[in-house]
Parts: sequence; C-alpha cells; structure tokens
Amino acid sequence: MPTENLSDKRMSKFKNKGKEPTKMRDRRIAECVELRKAHKVEGIMKRRNISSVGDEEPLSPEYNTDNKQVISEAIQEIVANVNNECPEKQRQGCQAARKLLSRERNPPLKEIVEAGLLTRFVEFLGRNDDPTLQFEAAWSLTNVASGTSWHTQQVVEHGAVPAFIALLASPMLNISEQAVWALGNIAGDGPSYRDALIDCGVIPALLARLTPDAPVGYLRNLTWTLSNLCRNKNPFPRFSAVQQMLPSIIQLLHHSDKSILSDACWAISYLTDGPNERIDVVIKTGVLPRLVELLGFEELAVVTPALRSIGNIVSGSDLQTQAAIDAGVLSALPLLMRHPKSSVQKEAAWAVSNIAAGPCQQIQQLITCGLLAPLVDLLRNGDFKTQREAVWAVTNYTSGGTVDQVVHLVKCGALEAILNLLQAKDAKTVLVILDAINNIFLAAEKLGEVDKLCLLVEEVGGLDRIEFLQNHENNAVYRAAQALIEKYFSEVAGYRCT
Amino acid sequence: MELNDGNLQTLTEYLQKTLSPDPAVRRPAEKFLESVEGNQNYPILLLTLLEKSQDEVIRVCAAVTFKNYIKRNWRIVEDEPNKISDPDRTAIKANIVNLMLTSPEQIQKQLSDAISILGREDFPQKWPDLLTEMVNRFQSGDFHIINGVLRTAHSLFKRYRHEFKSNELWSEIKLVLDTFAQPLTELFKATIDLCQTHATDVNALKVLFSSLTLISKLFYSLNFQDLPEFFEDNMETWMTHFHNLLTLDNKLLQTEDEEEAGLLELLKSQICDNAALYAQKYDEEFQPYLPRFVTAIWNLLVTTGQEVKYDLLVSNAIQFLASVCERPHYKHLFEDQNVLTSICEKVIVPNMEFRSADEEAFEDNAEEYIIRDLEGSDIDTRRRAACDLVRGLCKFFEGPVTGIFSGYVSSMLTEYAKNPGVNWKHKDAAIYLVTSLASKAQTQKHGITQANELVNLCEFFVNHILVDLKSPSVNEFPVLKADAIKYVMTFRSQLPKEQLLEAVPLLVAHLQAESIVQHTYAAHALERLFTMRGANNATLITPAEMAPFTEQLLNNLFKALAIPGSSENEYMMKAIMRSFSLLQEAIVPYIPTLIGQLTHKLLLVSKNPSKPHFNHYLFESLCLSIRITCKANRDTVGSFEEALFPVFTEILQNDVQEFVPYVFQVMSLLLEIHTSSIPSSYMALFPHLLQPVLWERTGNIPPLVRLLQAYLEKGATTIASTAADKIPGLLGVFQKLIASKANDHQGFYLLNSIVEHMPPDSITQYRKQIFILLFQRLQSSKTTKFVKSFMVFINLYCVKYGAIALQEIFDDIQPKMFGMVVEKIIIPEVQKVSGQVEKKICAVGITKILTECPAMMDTEYTKLWTPLLQALIGLFELPEDDSIPDDEHFIDIEDTPGYQTAFSQLAFAGKKEHDPIGDAVNNPKILLAQSLHKLSTACPGRVPSMLSTSLPAEALQFLQGYLQAATVQLV
Repeated sequence: MPTENLSDKRMSKFKNKGKEPTKMRDRRIAECVELRKAHKVEGIMKRRNISSVGDEEPLSPEYNTDNKQVISEAIQEIVANVNNECPEKQRQGCQAARKLLSRERNPPLKEIVEAGLLTRFVEFLGRNDDPTLQFEAAWSLTNVASGTSWHTQQVVEHGAVPAFIALLASPMLNISEQAVWALGNIAGDGPSYRDALIDCGVIPALLARLTPDAPVGYLRNLTWTLSNLCRNKNPFPRFSAVQQMLPSIIQLLHHSDKSILSDACWAISYLTDGPNERIDVVIKTGVLPRLVELLGFEELAVVTPALRSIGNIVSGSDLQTQAAIDAGVLSALPLLMRHPKSSVQKEAAWAVSNIAAGPCQQIQQLITCGLLAPLVDLLRNGDFKTQREAVWAVTNYTSGGTVDQVVHLVKCGALEAILNLLQAKDAKTVLVILDAINNIFLAAEKLGEVDKLCLLVEEVGGLDRIEFLQNHENNAVYRAAQALIEKYFSEVAGYRCT
Repeated sequence: MELNDGNLQTLTEYLQKTLSPDPAVRRPAEKFLESVEGNQNYPILLLTLLEKSQDEVIRVCAAVTFKNYIKRNWRIVEDEPNKISDPDRTAIKANIVNLMLTSPEQIQKQLSDAISILGREDFPQKWPDLLTEMVNRFQSGDFHIINGVLRTAHSLFKRYRHEFKSNELWSEIKLVLDTFAQPLTELFKATIDLCQTHATDVNALKVLFSSLTLISKLFYSLNFQDLPEFFEDNMETWMTHFHNLLTLDNKLLQTEDEEEAGLLELLKSQICDNAALYAQKYDEEFQPYLPRFVTAIWNLLVTTGQEVKYDLLVSNAIQFLASVCERPHYKHLFEDQNVLTSICEKVIVPNMEFRSADEEAFEDNAEEYIIRDLEGSDIDTRRRAACDLVRGLCKFFEGPVTGIFSGYVSSMLTEYAKNPGVNWKHKDAAIYLVTSLASKAQTQKHGITQANELVNLCEFFVNHILVDLKSPSVNEFPVLKADAIKYVMTFRSQLPKEQLLEAVPLLVAHLQAESIVQHTYAAHALERLFTMRGANNATLITPAEMAPFTEQLLNNLFKALAIPGSSENEYMMKAIMRSFSLLQEAIVPYIPTLIGQLTHKLLLVSKNPSKPHFNHYLFESLCLSIRITCKANRDTVGSFEEALFPVFTEILQNDVQEFVPYVFQVMSLLLEIHTSSIPSSYMALFPHLLQPVLWERTGNIPPLVRLLQAYLEKGATTIASTAADKIPGLLGVFQKLIASKANDHQGFYLLNSIVEHMPPDSITQYRKQIFILLFQRLQSSKTTKFVKSFMVFINLYCVKYGAIALQEIFDDIQPKMFGMVVEKIIIPEVQKVSGQVEKKICAVGITKILTECPAMMDTEYTKLWTPLLQALIGLFELPEDDSIPDDEHFIDIEDTPGYQTAFSQLAFAGKKEHDPIGDAVNNPKILLAQSLHKLSTACPGRVPSMLSTSLPAEALQFLQGYLQAATVQLV
C-alpha cells in the first residue's frame, strides 16, 4: 500500500492540477465592473457630428452659452419655426437646432428632446423634396442619438430607424452619409438596438453603398457603423449577420486609409471576442496574414485593434492559436512587446500568455521565435499591467511546458524576475507567481534538482519574499506561500532516504 | 432575557467576575456568559451597559465582551442556526454607529472593530445606509466623531488591499467611491486648512493629524485595486497636498520619545506608501508628479535621524526610492554621479550601520534579533530597505554603485584595523555591505566563485573572516564573530570546498560561545553546510571528512542546549538532526549516551510544549537514532523501546496533544523494525488506539492509521487469535474514516491492510457489511478520490480472495451488481488510478476478473469482457487521466473543520513503499498474456473470436505484443 509520503505528494499534485483548469487560455477581458475611466484607445461607441459646414458663420454668442434662460428661449424659437408650415422656416429651425446640438460643450440634448422636436425631425427625414431639411434633421437626430442610452432610445422610439435606413439610398451623398452616422450611433448603443437594426435590413442597405468610387470620408463612416454592428456581447450579433458583413470588412481591411483600417480592425476584434465558433468564422475568411501584417503598422489606431484581434484569436482553441502562429504572429510579437506604448506591450503580453497556455509544441515555438527574452524584459521593466500579463504567461508556460522548456525559461532569467514581482501590490498577481514557482519546483523534482533550485531562489532573495508572504492578509496567498515553504524549504527538504 | 435592571445587574456581576485573576472565579463566570449569549436581548444588554454603566471598568469590559460576541456569532453560516435574532441584529445596526461615535476612545475602538465585523458580513447589501450615515458625520465638525468615522471606514475598507479582484468586490468599491470619495476629498482639504488655522495649538493639531493619517490610509485602500476615475480626476488636489505634507515640519508635533513613531512620522510613512502605490501601479498617470516626490522623499531621508521611531518612515521612504529607481524612464533622476554618491553616502550607508538598538537586541533579545536577521522578517527594517535600494540601483548603475561601495568597504576596514576595540562597528558595517550586496547567485557572467565586482569573496574570507573565526577568544567581539559565521553561511555555495572544510571545526568551536546569537549562528551554519550536495548528489561534506570532529561536534551541540536561553534552541536541535543524518553509522557509538539526553529533553519539554520547531527536530533526531542504530543491528530496537516507552506512556496518559501524533509515528517506526511477532507491550496498547476520542483530532488520523497498519502487518494473526473482539472496533475506525471526504483514503489504507494481512476467516462475517458501507458512500457522495481508492481496494480483494469471491460478494448484495460495478466504475474510471503500485494491483485484479471468473464468460456479463480488456490495455498504454470535476478541487480544505493541530509528519519516520503483490507478478502485461492463454486453452476458440469481433485494432496490436513477449498464442 502507498505510504503517507507518496500519497500525500500525489494528492497535492492532484489539488494543484485542479487549481489550474485547462481553460486558462480563456482568461479574456471579461465584461466587468470597472473603476477606471473608460479606456481612451478603445473603439468609439457613439460620435457626435460637430463639424461645421464650409461657409457657415461662427456660432452666435447666444448659442454658446450655458445660460438656461437663453437656451430655453432659443429652443422655443426652434419649436415655433419647425412647426411652421413654411419650408424656409422649417429649414431655419432645423438648422438652428443642429447648431445647438453641434456646439462643443454641453449641447442641450435633453432640452431638445423635451421640447418634443423629435417627432418633427423624424418626419423631415422623409422629405425627399427638401434635401436640405432632410440633411439638417438627420444631423440633429444623429447628435441626439450620440448621447446616453436614454437619448438614443428617444430617437429610436420616434421611429427614426426605418427612415434612416431608407435615407441610406439617398442620391445625395451627404444625406446618405449622415444616415450612416446616425445608424452607427444607434447600433453602438448596445446589443438590442444593434439587433433591431439588423432586423430592419440595415446590412444590405449599408453594403449597397460600399462601392469603389465612394469617397474616403464616406467609407470611414460606413466602416465605423459596420464595426458597431459587430460590437457587443450578450448576445452576440447573429451568425447570418456576421457572415453578411465579413467579406466587406475584410475588403476594407485592405484599404489604404488608416482610419478605415482602424475601424475594420475593431470590427474584427469584436467578432473574435467570443466563443471559439465566433473565432472560427473569422479565421475561415483567411484574414490572419493581413492581421499579422497590420501588426507591423506604425499607427497605434491600427496596431491596437489588430493586436486585440490576434489576442482574442490565440485565446481560442489550440488549432485556432496554431493558425495564428502559422500566419506569422510570433515574428510580429517581439517588436510589439518592445513597443514604446505600454498599452501595446500589455496586449502583446496578454497574447503571449494565451499562446503559452497551449500545448508544449506551441510553447516550443515561443522559444524558437525568440519571445522569451522580450518576455523577461517585460517582467523586469514593463509597467504593472504589462508585468501582470507577463506573469500569467510564465505561469501558463510553466504549467504546460516540458521540463526542458521550464529549465530554459528559468535560464532566461524569468524566475528571478517573477520572484522580484512578489512585492507587487496585487494579491492575484502574487498568487499567480506562487503558482509558477510551484510549477518550476515540480519540474526540478523531476530532474532531481530541488536543492539547486532552492539555493537559486534563496540567492536571488526569493526565499525572503516567500517567507514574508506567509504573513499576507489574503488567505489563498498565505496558504500558497506556506505550502511552498513547507514543501521545499522546511527541514524535511534536502533529506533523502539512504 | 428581558431588558430590565435585574438582568443588567446580573450581567454586571458576571462581567466583574470575568476580570478576576482567580480562575476559580473567572472560569465559571465566562462559562455562564457563554451559556446565556444565545438569548435574545443579550447583545442589547451589553450595549446598554457599555453606554450607561456607572463603572468605567464594566463599560470597557462590556465593550470587549460585545466585540468578541459579534466576532463569534454575527456570521450566518449556511446550514447552521442563526445565532443572533433578527430584532437584535436590526437594533445593533441601528444604534452602533452613533454609540461608537459618542463613546470614549477605549470603547470607541472596540465598537469600531465590531462595526467592521458587521460590515464585513452585512455591508453593503444588508446595511445600505451605513455609508451615508458615516458621510453625514463629516459635516459635524467634531473631530472626535470624525476620527471615529474614519477609523471605522478604515477597518471596513482595508480589505480592498488584499482581496482578489471580483465583480462583487469592485461593485462594492464603486458604491463606496460614489458616496465617499467626494466627501473624503472635501474633508481632506478642510482638515489641511484647519491645520493652518490651528498651527500653534498642539492639541488641535494632534487630532487633525490623526485625521490626516486616517484619510491617507483610506486613500491607500480606495486606490489599491485600480485607479478610480474620481481619484484620477482629482489627482492634482491629492498629490499636491500629499507633497506639501511630506515637506512639512512642525516643532509642536515632534516627540521626545525615541521609540514610538509620532503623528508626523505616521502620516509621512503613509504618504510614502501612497506614492509608492501610484508609482508601482499607475505609472502612466502618476508620471508628472513623480519627480517632485522623489526630491521630497530624498530630502526627508537626508534630514531624518537614527532613532527607532523613524524606522517605519525611513524604510517606507527608502522602499519608495527603491521601487522608482529601477523603472527605465526614471533612470535619469538617479544617473548623475553626485546623486549616486550622495544616495550611497547619505541614505544607504547610515541606514546599514549597527545601531545601539541593534546592539541591545543582540545581547538581550537574541531570539528576535535572529528572526529579523536570519529569517527575512526584517522586511520593514532600515537595513533591509537600504539593501533593496542598492539592488534597485544596481539594475542600471551597477558599475558606479559597486565602485562607491568597494571604496567604502576598504575605508571601513582600514578604520577598524586602526583600533579594533573601538572601531569594531566599522568592520561590522563592511561585512554587512558585503554579505548583503555581493552577488550571491552564480550567474553565467560571473563564472563560478570569483570575480564579484564588489570584492573577491574568497580573498575577503581569507583576509577578514577567517581571522575572527580563528580568534582564540571565542567570546570577544561576538557581533563580529556572528558576522563572520553568517558570511560562511551566506556564501557557502560560492566558497571552495577547502575553505568550507577549514571553517567546519572553527564553527564547531563557536557552538560553545556564550552569546546566543553567536552559537545559534554556528549551529545554523553547520546545518546549512551539511545539507549541501556535491557530485552524484551525495553530501558535499562526507562523514569521513567529519570523522576528526565528530565527537567534538556532538558534544558541543548537546552542551549548547545547556546554555541559558538556548535550552529549546530550534537551530541547535535542527543541527543535531542534520548531524545525525550526515554522519549516519558514525554516530552509533555515541547513541547510548545521546538517547538518554534526548529522552530527558523530551520529558522536560512535554510538560509544556512551547517551541514547535524544536520539538519537531527533537522527534526527528529520535527517529534518526533509531533508524541508524537498528540498521546496523535490528536487535537494538528493544533498548530504544525501553528508553522511550516510559516517556511515551506519560505523553499519552497526559494527552499532550502536540506530541501524540509524533509518538504514534515513532512507535510505527519501532514496530516496523521488529521481524518476529508483535511484542506484548504493543498488544497491551492496541485497544486504546481504537478509542473514538483519539480519532476526533485530525492531526492524529494519518499517524494512527499508519500505526494500525504496522500492527496489522506484524500482528494480524495475534489480533485474530487474542483480540478478535477488537475487530469490530477496528472496522468502526474504518467506517468513520470512510464517511469523510477528507479522510476516506486513510480508511482505505486501513481496509487494504486488513484484507492483506488478516486471516480470511477472522473477517468473513464482516465482509458483506464492508462492501455495503462502501456502496452507501458511493451513492451519497462519489468523488474521484474515493473512486480511485475504491478501485484499488476491490482489485486487491480480487487478488487476495480470487475473482469469483469478488463477483459473488457483489452479486450477493444485489443481483447483477458485479456487472454494474465493472460497467459503471471499473471500465470508465480505471484510467484515473495513479501510482505504480496501485496500477499494478488494478492490472492484476482485472486480469483475474477477465480470466478466472466464469461469470464473465458465461452470463450476461460476457458483453463486458472485451470492454474490460480494452480498459486494461488502456491502463497499460494510455497516459493517466488526471482530470477532476470542477466541484471537487478543494475537498480536503473544505472538509477540514477549522484550525486543528495539523499533522506534523516526521520525515525520518518515513515508511517504505509497500507492494502487496511484490515479486509474485513482475510484469502484469506478461501475466495478462499468460492468463489469456490459459483461458483460451480451457475453452478453445472463444477468446480469439471475442477479440476479433469487438476489440479495436490498436488495442489488439498492443495485446499481440504482450502475447509475443510472453511467447504464448491464443487458441
């Protein structure tokens, strides 16, 4: 029968195994409560049109004030004009509203809605006889829809959606463009309006305007609106819609305009931020080589979403990850890990952590393509968010890698670097590091080199840090530290039955 | 319990009694209070007393009792009764904040603690108005009240500093930020303004500065998990004020006390922490402010004195610099040679000096000194912080920094040489610099031992360390001696073996030093040297090399245990253990004397076990004595029993809980050494081992199971013949263990020993019941661990009693049950069995089921025959399936009730792996081939036809391989 010694060892292995479910790769950027400011580099959900039309005079002072009295009077005048039967007056009122809604600071969205103007504006959208009026109304509604969810809801509930979709086909490019924009704002509000738009047939209507002769500005808006139609989870946009849009998005991904590229990349990143079936649909289009190519671009606006897409894809199945590797992603990552922007470093480290969660063949490719040196650099010099991802990479690597691979990683200086990070002010990171240390010890056990590893850990000051963690307030951390100490650094260690 | 004067009076009397020094008065009163605390209104009575009692002592006592009551009872545990009635809960929450705020400080602190316990459970969902209630008090303008609120908030929010990110936690923080961040900021600004207004009023300042410190602590907690939007937007306000406060000094707030940190120091330390937090985690956003903080903190360090009261401030401040200087984009702040030199001179060197406080600790508080210096709990000390700073600086400026320090080292050594008696501290500082700063790791760049840029380690050893070690007056300059010993320990893997061997006898001599630190370090250094491994993984230092010093070593180690202050010195005892382990048979001649000393020590410490490590090594040393001596001559086991049993009996009789598990382990070791039958002295103890009370303690279970296994191995027949009436008791233990998810594997160990060793007749009548119990557990909670153990057990049973017996016992419980077990358990789960021996048992057992069980060939079980064979081939050929269902990961932890003495396993009492099948089967694959061959000759044609119809080609191919290897053919 087994002795206590052996069986206990086995049981601890059993437990550790359990702590790291094979789903580590699934550690996505989940939808969750945020304390931080909304991220500046993310794709934009809604936009207000604050450009001014070429020959227009600057806003008169009365439009630029926060004085409630003045604004309320201005709105009363707008209401009067808009409700007037005279087209000239209507145009005038509508334009005045648009100007108010387009000013840089504190546009009175709520006041315009409460003045009951939306019904009229939506009505004006159908006035094919008066393109100017259509345009002004479309612009105003676009800007109202760019507000909060409540504002968007007002626009939708006034029946603007079918009207805008109809306007997409307008022969007047500026009107069609404004409709594209408004629909983008509505789609960006969330999954339910996005799906409502899709139900109304917005996709074919948009794609019909995607022609070689369309001007760049128009295409930018169109791409952005398409990206919003790909956006948001719970639920995801349905497969048929995705299938409809994908070929065009791929096409846009080859455009030369950076802003179009950026939004097309964001679209891909939304589509890949989901379960593996979602990722599959994207991979099947053969887009990977182009994405990898975009990783090499200079513009942050392109690199960020391209990298996010790649990161999502390598968080998928082993096969999907392999597809990304085969497309050359590993030769692009080292540069990004040394990118001047820490946000890029962080995303790159995240991608590496997901690849490191794969089978040992993929880990081998990380070694072959020279990713360990930049990874260790990030552990040493990255900012905290990057270090955190790099630590995950080490833990994933050490739990799936072969003994030789683990040894190689230690030789590259990763052990010393993570031991140093045991001072991090984040309990989770500390725990993940302790896991990695444990994995490295398991490898050392297989080689019979526990003593040597103990000495190494002690010499680089790691033992002190682990011992100190036995006082950590977080139970899981203190238990993990204690387990390491007891297993490898207590008296029993170093003894062999003779 | 009614809320009336009578009850208040009674309660007052009992509270009074709980303060009595006389246990005869105190204990019954405590018992009484415990017995009534379940009653409704009890907490309300306490609150009434702490508010209204005339007696100050009773008020405080009621507050403490209340807090402890809350601590024990507030939490609602699933499946357990709610221990506090809902009306009481509501009443407590409605009143406690106000009560806390209006109470004097002593009571306020207790209530504040109680609130944080309540808050931990109820906040925010079940206590929605707590935050607003607190925020409203900020308006009161009364800083006694405000500080109460701040202190409570601190105890509520400080967990944000160590908990894992979760949506639940972050939602709570978000809620707190929404309500609290703005008012806190306003309060911060207002408090700072008030400090200006009251700049000359010391009492007002004291209160205001405690508020500022608490506010700074809250800032730390609220900003810990991530940088909140609010604080990002208000960074200017906070950082500007923090910066000003760092540079502020006020004579009125300076304290006379040298030890206790004053308000200014506490506040500034916290601000350093806050700045370090931002620098580490929110680098990007904090960048514009950082240089200012570097300058301010740097100035602070240069102007702060050596007194102990500044320790926390100084170490936090240095840690801040340390964390900043190694970030690539702040490198330029430190680059200048003058800056580096002055950091080294003015910050690092002064903080590495041996201060008079260190000297006092060295002499009078050796234990604490050692813990701090040796075990890394010096994390908050100046020395440690200074070392970290040097390490940080070396990242980018290794050359210049090393240059500066080498200069220092030599100049300090020169100073020392001029007048050692006066300047010995200079040498201490020099050695400290070298031991903390010299690179200890053998990097490829540095080659093996030489070429350390700071100093040449070997030369330094020869020129400066050996002198002290060799000094004929062992007790002179104990600090330098301790330094020298520590040097050997620290650089043990860098120094060549000859130098270590030169040091060994010197270290042995230092074991006799009067200074506790010194002889402890000597013991520790020897212990470390003895664990070092050389070529072929043998110990670096061999017993032969130790031969000339063996006697001296053992003598000095044991003599040191007689030095006052070291009678339970764990380092000494560990060194004894390690020496035994290294020297092996060389210690045999000394054992007769030493065992007496060890048992005597054991007897002494068992009166009042207080040093767990010491005791552990003591038992390890006993085990080693036994193993080593009995390895040379088994017959000596009797003399050990003679020496140890009297003490063991006393330990067991007095139920010395800490020692009981150790005693069982040593007894197991002794019993296992016996070759013939079990001695009667053990049999006399047997009934006692089955007492349920012993099995209640978690820590006893593994060693007791092991001991019972030893009984079964050595004395199964004796038990069957002379103690058959104890068999139900033995099975009762099994039944209890099997019922627990945490201990079921222990139950199987026991059961397997019973099956393996007990004469079959003696347990016939119990067999069916055993199987029924196992089935009940399978039905009620089937875990992977249980299934694995179960599988090993049934296969062992099969090996021992035969396949037919196994099939019959199942089918006897319920018709067709055997088929179910094969189909639902063995076939799908056998791949999970782990361990060489376990796999072998299963392989042999399954082979028997396949080939020696007629029912498998002739009944409806036949359809299971090929799948079972396939599973067996899988067991041979496929990797182990170590997956576990998600809900089982932490079974053992959840199942362990509370904190009980953990099982302390003795390494040197370790047991060899036991293979019940042994040499009877060398290669289970060959056995399978031979058994199949035999089966096929008994019923020609059937086996090949079953194989060809349903065994997958791959499995068949493996099987062909086995048949070939066994040179048999199926017919």
